[in-house]
Amino acid sequence: MFSRTLLIPFGVGALALIVLPAIVTVILAFTLYDAQTAPIWRGNQNFIDLFVIDPIFPIAARNTLIFTAVATPLRVLGALGLALLLSPERRGARLYRSGAFLPAIVPEIAYALAWVWVLNPVYGPLNQILGAFGLPQPAWLGSPDTALSGLVLAGAFQLGEGMVILIAGLKAVPNDLYRAASVDGAGRWARFWRITLPLIQPWLAVLLIRDLLWAAQGTFTLTRVMTLGGPYYSTLLMPLYIYEEAFDRFRFGLGAAATVLLVMAAAAATVLAFIALRGWGFDDEA
Amino acid sequence: MLNRRWLMIGVVWLVGVVALLLIQGDGSGAQVSFMIFGDPAEIAAYEGLVAAFHEQHPDTRVELIKVADQADYRARLAADFAGGTPPDVMLINYRRMAQFADAGVLEALQPYVEASSVINLDEFYENSIEPFYWDGVLQCIPQNLSSLVVFYNRDLFDVAGIPYPQMGWTWDDFLATAEALTIDADGDGTPEQYGLGIEPSMIRLMPFIWGNGGDVVDFYEQPTGLTMFREDAVTAYLWFVALSTEHGVVPNRVQEQAQDSENRFMNGTTAMFLNSRRGVPTYRGITGFTWDAAALPVGPAGPMGILHADAYCMAAAAKDKSAAWRFIEFANSIEGQTLVARSGRTVPSLRAVAESPAFLDPNAAPANSRVFLDTIPAIRALPRMVYWVDIELIFSEEIERAFYGEAEPLEALRVAGRRAIEYMELEVLRWRGP
Repeated sequence: MFSRTLLIPFGVGALALIVLPAIVTVILAFTLYDAQTAPIWRGNQNFIDLFVIDPIFPIAARNTLIFTAVATPLRVLGALGLALLLSPERRGARLYRSGAFLPAIVPEIAYALAWVWVLNPVYGPLNQILGAFGLPQPAWLGSPDTALSGLVLAGAFQLGEGMVILIAGLKAVPNDLYRAASVDGAGRWARFWRITLPLIQPWLAVLLIRDLLWAAQGTFTLTRVMTLGGPYYSTLLMPLYIYEEAFDRFRFGLGAAATVLLVMAAAAATVLAFIALRGWGFDDEA
Repeated sequence: MLNRRWLMIGVVWLVGVVALLLIQGDGSGAQVSFMIFGDPAEIAAYEGLVAAFHEQHPDTRVELIKVADQADYRARLAADFAGGTPPDVMLINYRRMAQFADAGVLEALQPYVEASSVINLDEFYENSIEPFYWDGVLQCIPQNLSSLVVFYNRDLFDVAGIPYPQMGWTWDDFLATAEALTIDADGDGTPEQYGLGIEPSMIRLMPFIWGNGGDVVDFYEQPTGLTMFREDAVTAYLWFVALSTEHGVVPNRVQEQAQDSENRFMNGTTAMFLNSRRGVPTYRGITGFTWDAAALPVGPAGPMGILHADAYCMAAAAKDKSAAWRFIEFANSIEGQTLVARSGRTVPSLRAVAESPAFLDPNAAPANSRVFLDTIPAIRALPRMVYWVDIELIFSEEIERAFYGEAEPLEALRVAGRRAIEYMELEVLRWRGP
């Protein structure tokens, strides 16, 4: 009973800050609302406007799809690579892990500002290094052709939390299995493919879904600080689009409709990821 | 025993919290919330204004709500209006006032002005007041009116042996000066010093359109169509775009991304930078060179400037309207405007303050602050339209693409027209009624 009582503050908070706003958002999605006068019911017209009239929504949706499709696997694979590299207890491993975790604890605005500097086309360290090797120096955030890649790059280095999750997963793999596999003549690659990967599948699944949702919905600070969606909408992702529609142009109805679509798309992607991962990996009940 | 001790701790904590709330809330007297945005120098000026108001009106407390930049300010206003708790008093730019006034969320200030013994509209510059009327009724009281001016680095002009910009200089003089001050010493194709820095946007382009006899809409009161495609406007637009694409006197997109023009001006690698008065508090921090301000070059149709003005507006939902008005009245009195003018941020809308040492301080840069007053007769305001913000944004995006050579200029203008027509139609529908 006492433990249930302890849940009350969380329950009230979740109701007030998540459930009620979500219900209001769904209702607003069917209205014309400028935050100044009462909402006017307009049925599904906002959804039609998004696809038929507004030329910017399809651009934001396409950018978000591309960003999600590229950034999500990069973040998962990056975290996996780091975890494999840093999970063995060798000398200096803790220091390296701390270093890799650092971007996760830097405030997101500071992280984004640091990347604005890294990607500076003239003075930034990345282009200085590329130039030193005689490689092309892209304009990064200064060109519609490369700005989204710059954003993906910034997003792909937030690996700390993923790495920690996967190191926990790797530590849970029994050493006996590796020894037995070695006795049977399995090489390093076979051990990774046949033992490590299937056994850390639940952790990978969690990470994949977490990063999928982040790429779809969690990019507001990066885009707001680094590019404001430009040049010419090339980095306009859905969270920034929704914010600008609602809070800059006072079209809360359209913003709410876009939010509903984004949540539905993210939910569908999550279900698909679950289905795709269901048949893969280790199942000790088989 | 243990329970008693915890009870005592609980009671002391509760008493402390209540005392803190009482101290903080100080529910006695009238309360007014006032929302502003700006850099630290501007915010300090408003803090001084509020402090002076408190001295004269100890029975009214003004709570200053500070927001860092203009975009956040707009978002906060929208959220507060949506939540039904807008600030009692707020600063609104004239380009955005129509959408608030049309929604009826602003308290019209005309009746208050008519009953006031402090505010006399005849003492204000007329072109600062006029844009704040909506349906023939004054909605807000402007604190300032700045034109676009040319801030320039005197040292770079001296080194190049080029005369400082004079009142009445022409577009050709302007371009020749910018070209002479753009220097690519190592010949690598990227100038180390630019002659000019300018934001490629509608609000920067408009004085040149007007200066060539063009315009953006056909009728300012009840617009029926965009006129950006008429010859005078197109010629000015192409001239503006060519500053970048043909003459290369401004940083290209990559160079601008590496370091923006305002920073280049402030570190002495750009000779001229176009901005309104709002840049002055920041530029006063420049120590490496001397700078000054000059009027915009004169176009074929004569001198033109563009209005930059923010006004004190009252929310229709303000709880204590009489207290809110007392504060607006004080802020727009000679004393109130003098306090804000000293920060350097505003060109006061009251003639008496604008002509006073508070604004024309001979010891504070720019030396030629008078240029802001001399150019007032040529200042024009953009149209008052509910959908103006959308139209301006679309044109600015396309102008930027053309300016940086990412789109053919005339094609970019056509795209802007196609995109903006939707909002123009909505505007026509709005004033014609159902």
